[in-house]
Amino acid sequence: MSRQVLLHVGCPKTGTSYLQDVLFRNQPVLREHDILYPADRFDAHFLAALDLMTLPWGGIETEAVGAWDRLAAEVREWHGTSIVSHEIFARATPTQVERALASLGDAEVHLVLSARDLVRQIPAEWQENVKHRSHITYERFLDTIRDPDRDSRIGSWFWAVQEIPDILERWGSSLPPEHVHLVTLPPPGGDRGELWRRFSRTFGLDGLPLDLTADRENPSLGVPETSLLRTINERVTSIIAPPDYRPLVRETLAHQTLSRSVASARLGLAPEDHAWARGLSERWIEVLAERGYDVVGSLDDLLGPDAGTFADPDAATADQLLPPALDAISALLVEGARLRAVEERLHEELREAREELDRARATRAHRARRKVVTTLENSSAGRGSLDAYRRLRGHKA
Amino acid sequence: MTVSATRPAGSVHGWVAHLRAGGTTPWLEWTDPGADHEPAGRGVPGAQQLELLRRINLARQSGPRPGIDHDRELGPLAERVLAAPAAGRGKADLPLVGVASSAFGAQPVDPASVGPHELLRVASTLLADDLVALGPDPVRRSLARPWRRRFRLVGDPVVVAAAREHLLGRGRPEGGPRPFVVAVGGPLDDLLAHTWTQRCFEHGSRPWGDWLRFWRERDQLPARVDLDECVRRWGGRRPFVRIVTDLDLLPGHVGVRRLPRVRVPGADQAELARRIAAVVGIRVPVAERPALMRTLQRRMPDSGVAPVAVPAAEREWVASSAERLARRLTRAGYPVVGDLADLAPRAAADPTGPPGPARVGRVGRVDGQQVLDLAIRMIVDPGWRTERERSVER
Repeated sequence: MSRQVLLHVGCPKTGTSYLQDVLFRNQPVLREHDILYPADRFDAHFLAALDLMTLPWGGIETEAVGAWDRLAAEVREWHGTSIVSHEIFARATPTQVERALASLGDAEVHLVLSARDLVRQIPAEWQENVKHRSHITYERFLDTIRDPDRDSRIGSWFWAVQEIPDILERWGSSLPPEHVHLVTLPPPGGDRGELWRRFSRTFGLDGLPLDLTADRENPSLGVPETSLLRTINERVTSIIAPPDYRPLVRETLAHQTLSRSVASARLGLAPEDHAWARGLSERWIEVLAERGYDVVGSLDDLLGPDAGTFADPDAATADQLLPPALDAISALLVEGARLRAVEERLHEELREAREELDRARATRAHRARRKVVTTLENSSAGRGSLDAYRRLRGHKA
Repeated sequence: MTVSATRPAGSVHGWVAHLRAGGTTPWLEWTDPGADHEPAGRGVPGAQQLELLRRINLARQSGPRPGIDHDRELGPLAERVLAAPAAGRGKADLPLVGVASSAFGAQPVDPASVGPHELLRVASTLLADDLVALGPDPVRRSLARPWRRRFRLVGDPVVVAAAREHLLGRGRPEGGPRPFVVAVGGPLDDLLAHTWTQRCFEHGSRPWGDWLRFWRERDQLPARVDLDECVRRWGGRRPFVRIVTDLDLLPGHVGVRRLPRVRVPGADQAELARRIAAVVGIRVPVAERPALMRTLQRRMPDSGVAPVAVPAAEREWVASSAERLARRLTRAGYPVVGDLADLAPRAAADPTGPPGPARVGRVGRVDGQQVLDLAIRMIVDPGWRTERERSVER
């Protein structure tokens, strides 16, 4: 079997969490079919990306030491097809791309980029920023990404991971265009299985007995829920450290609580921003069509849906924020109660351990020894004698 | 040549070759059309890398040790600079203004206009790699003296770290049965500044202003500054606790006659260490980072810049926190060596800033240019890593 690497480098918010979850959970089945997804933990490829790009990430990067080299070594040793997938690879610089491709050995590299229209990506990226501690308003976010200088942290990151022609130029310029696969996300409202079929075809997974149950997804939030989370961030980002923010705010509040409100209005673009995003997408589509990549789906998918009714998250009223705010308080109280139970259990274990220690110390001989030690510790000569005794005892033991 | 004119590709490759050879001409002043220059690699490095190399070349020419192994060192160093990634989130590698470039990607820039923050992203990667290659200095230990006084040092992290290291080398390690908990205090603004500074030389931290804001908005003190909590954590009981605010009397409470004077790293040193620590965190296992960062602290050259200081906007909170802390320590009844009034912020008593040797720069501020100057100095002059372990300046 020929050696092949399918390198999936983005984009964020294109169903990548689901794909990676399926690949991670089905590693044994994949191996039986000569496909390697080398990951000892769900976020293994995320760590490899942090390592490759020297990218600190709220402390998680300390778990990423050497992760790219280990991943690349596994890929080089594999006899069949290997899949590497994480959406933040999209941000790699040309030098990092060169290093990554060189470290994959002599395998035939196929680049995969999954892409969604800007009309849906822009609100999704703002939400993602809000879920990562940002309290930038939607209006300012739009101004930031529309600034052609891309001078800000948010603007430079957004375009680095969302500008499809640039990502493909950085990653794919050394590959033949037929080895560059652009998987477009189907338009909204279509068959929910279509995206998976496109992924499955691209990654050669058709016909494999994979468990496709969704365990891990990155759910989106409604307009009032995102607005609430942004407001909460204004209060807490500066006082809650990232290791606490992740479980308490992103997981408990955003993913497990606020994302459940499926009836809330979904975020879109105001008419003027919509027209701008559409215009940009049209130019991208022209360029991509000229480059001759293998398109899985249709470039027209990148145009995005027509403008709908726009609900402005910056104008969410107190009445709209109240229901999700009550849900948030309730979820945090439940989480607080759970943590109290954990604390109580640990106290109980500590109490038992102390009681056991006290029972062991309650003997007359122990009390006498303790008295001698205490007396000796009060003078330097006594401390010297004790130290000598302990060393002697240590040597004999 | 105007910024908007498009230059031939050979001109760019010529300028890159010029920088590789030690040149210092800014990009906008580079006039060679360079028809005969071939690219040395796959692409043109980013403006950040190119400008840093130019600044390094400038420093090499004007530095105190020009010409030392100049040609031998130049090639590999230039290659490293041009290949170094800009660490952390920030701008992508920036294209040069005036060069035909893709219609997509980051906007082209004049490299000379790239700010210290962007250049430091590259410089900190280089220095972190140097530090990892150097490895940790060995820790000096002597055979533990059996008659030593048992102590546990807590409090001011800069003072405590230096004292701990010195005492270990003198055969007086911390700990042992029933130790005295010796909590080193001082003006609370100094304690906060020292805590942030020492964090930068351990596992990194958020920027000084953000870090201070984090504690102010929580209205809490960091673990090592809250002396009452420090003592409790180590199980200190009243007769076996000393709260030391008079540093001249500290030696006696750890069983020695004197301790070396402590030099607090400058704001530029701490900020550079903070950035290096972030990269070292991706380069070596987490357990190895503290020893490497201690090595950096020992070897980092001094530029005479003042340490960070609490800005005026935070002083009120610091003063009230100091009062609260003093009240809690008084209530706890721990023996005090010195005076708990010494916990009051120094800035309130002496608004001109901390005493000590003359320091340059604006007192207490992290100045990006000063940090960059220090970083370039360390890249240009490898003395800090090639010389044997320096004696600690105190």
